[in-house]
Amino acid sequence: MRLELRDIRHIYSPGAPFEIEALRGVSLAVEPGEVLGILGGTGSGKSTLVQHMNLLLEPTSGDVLVDGADAATLKKSELRRRVGLVFQFPEAALFAPTVAEDVAFAPRRLGLDEDEVERRVTESLKLLGAEHLKDRSPFALSGGEQRRVAIAGVLAMGPEVLVLDEPASGLDPAAREDLLRLIRTLHNTGTSVVLVSHDTDEVAEVADRICVLEKGEVRAIGSPSEVFYTNPEFAPATVQAVAALGEAAWNAGRPVRFDETLRALAQLMEG
Amino acid sequence: MSGSVLRTLADPGSISCESLTYSYPGAVEPALSGVTFEVRAGEYVGVVGPNGGGKSTLLRLLNGLLVADSGIVRIAGRDPTAEPFEVRRRVGMLFQNPENGLVAPFVEDDVAFGMENLGVPHEEMHVRVREAIRAVGLSGYERREPHTLSGGEKQRVALAGLLALEPEILLLDEPTSMLDAAGRRDVMDRMRGVRGEKTILHVTHHLGELLDADRVLVLNGGKLVADVSPERLVLDADLLTGNRLVLPPLSRLATGLGLAATKQRTPEELAQEIRESIRKRTAAR
Repeated sequence: MRLELRDIRHIYSPGAPFEIEALRGVSLAVEPGEVLGILGGTGSGKSTLVQHMNLLLEPTSGDVLVDGADAATLKKSELRRRVGLVFQFPEAALFAPTVAEDVAFAPRRLGLDEDEVERRVTESLKLLGAEHLKDRSPFALSGGEQRRVAIAGVLAMGPEVLVLDEPASGLDPAAREDLLRLIRTLHNTGTSVVLVSHDTDEVAEVADRICVLEKGEVRAIGSPSEVFYTNPEFAPATVQAVAALGEAAWNAGRPVRFDETLRALAQLMEG
Repeated sequence: MSGSVLRTLADPGSISCESLTYSYPGAVEPALSGVTFEVRAGEYVGVVGPNGGGKSTLLRLLNGLLVADSGIVRIAGRDPTAEPFEVRRRVGMLFQNPENGLVAPFVEDDVAFGMENLGVPHEEMHVRVREAIRAVGLSGYERREPHTLSGGEKQRVALAGLLALEPEILLLDEPTSMLDAAGRRDVMDRMRGVRGEKTILHVTHHLGELLDADRVLVLNGGKLVADVSPERLVLDADLLTGNRLVLPPLSRLATGLGLAATKQRTPEELAQEIRESIRKRTAAR
């Protein structure tokens, strides 16, 4: 699926004395099968933006297009199945007595037969490395495990685009690594992923393209090396170090991921 | 050991724990077992370790949200389960997910909420609210509705509400988890501003935030596995890997290039060191 946002504006509390223009005309596309990273500081409009991707929020003006067709003409339930949204701290919504029941909730509501529901539950939990948790209570799990179960619940809907809003926030470094691996796995299965984060290191590791939001506008969009080396202020500290080398690093290329950066700099130092 | 508790009795900002053990109902393994440590008034102590290691459980036991199965907790010499109000007046706690804490229609009401409960006079409340909102860099947000704020802004509102209460002890459970690098620096600078005045226990996954802490406690599997200076922690590869701790990317990059791990540096400083090392190599040829 190709998901396109055209000139999206969003105003909170319109007409009120404290109305806030959270998005000021944002245009971007999520290409089929890509990992799109959305970076931006606190209050830049990231979360508001992604809630337009399945019309959980309606734009004040502008259009959302699914494969070229106006998303507003699709059934809401259909749209929300195809574009799965995982909120910040999704584990807050866990409710069922077992993990398997929790993950089964959404696909069951799609009206799928029980065999299919079970197949999807097993498959999603497996993809997330959480199969062994299926009979446990979601409330007895660690933070990282709960996060994975909550994501499995959305994956079980079989979305074509998976939107993750700050999925690693609060996870320890090991659980965060697991999550980044999961994003790569999903990428290989052809699911498009939108990764929203304030953490440039995280986005640098997995994104095919990056969009930087600032005060409700697109400040930069393109490949990670293009965006980071043109706007080092948004880049990970490791990329900033390469950029700060200037001419001294002219033959180091434009490394972005941590391993690439380490390799390039080590070569530079060895000569 | 019991002597240590007595020694801190009169100290308003002190924390002490002895053989603290707690299991969640129905859990096979205890979430915390035999944890003993002491924090003096004005100390800034980091708490790190993997998810499920017992960090959040510890904070909840300290302010009486949970009751220990066995062991002793003393906050300023008081038992939080026996004197919950006395203790909570002294202890401010900031949770990881700011959504859970925001209750009022406007930001300023939210910041004032805790003080209203404590019966702070109106005049004084206004002053403290304004000051706290300014301190977290949200001046101009007084009449914003919390639901229109981003996660990071909500986190700062929660922090303002906490600071307005003027507690002696701050228990912070990943107070910067939703903040970008600039917001994180802001909050950390604010923490540095109250350093020495307040006792701070700071739970985080970002070791980089604790490089200037007085001490770091490492919790894993419910046990206190280390109580060390940050300088020692960053050099102890076994302690780091054994507890799934990761240095900030820039420090890892420096170590990977054979440069010292201890130093806190900016990207520009690292670039300078690399240039230096290239120059030395070329000169040696």
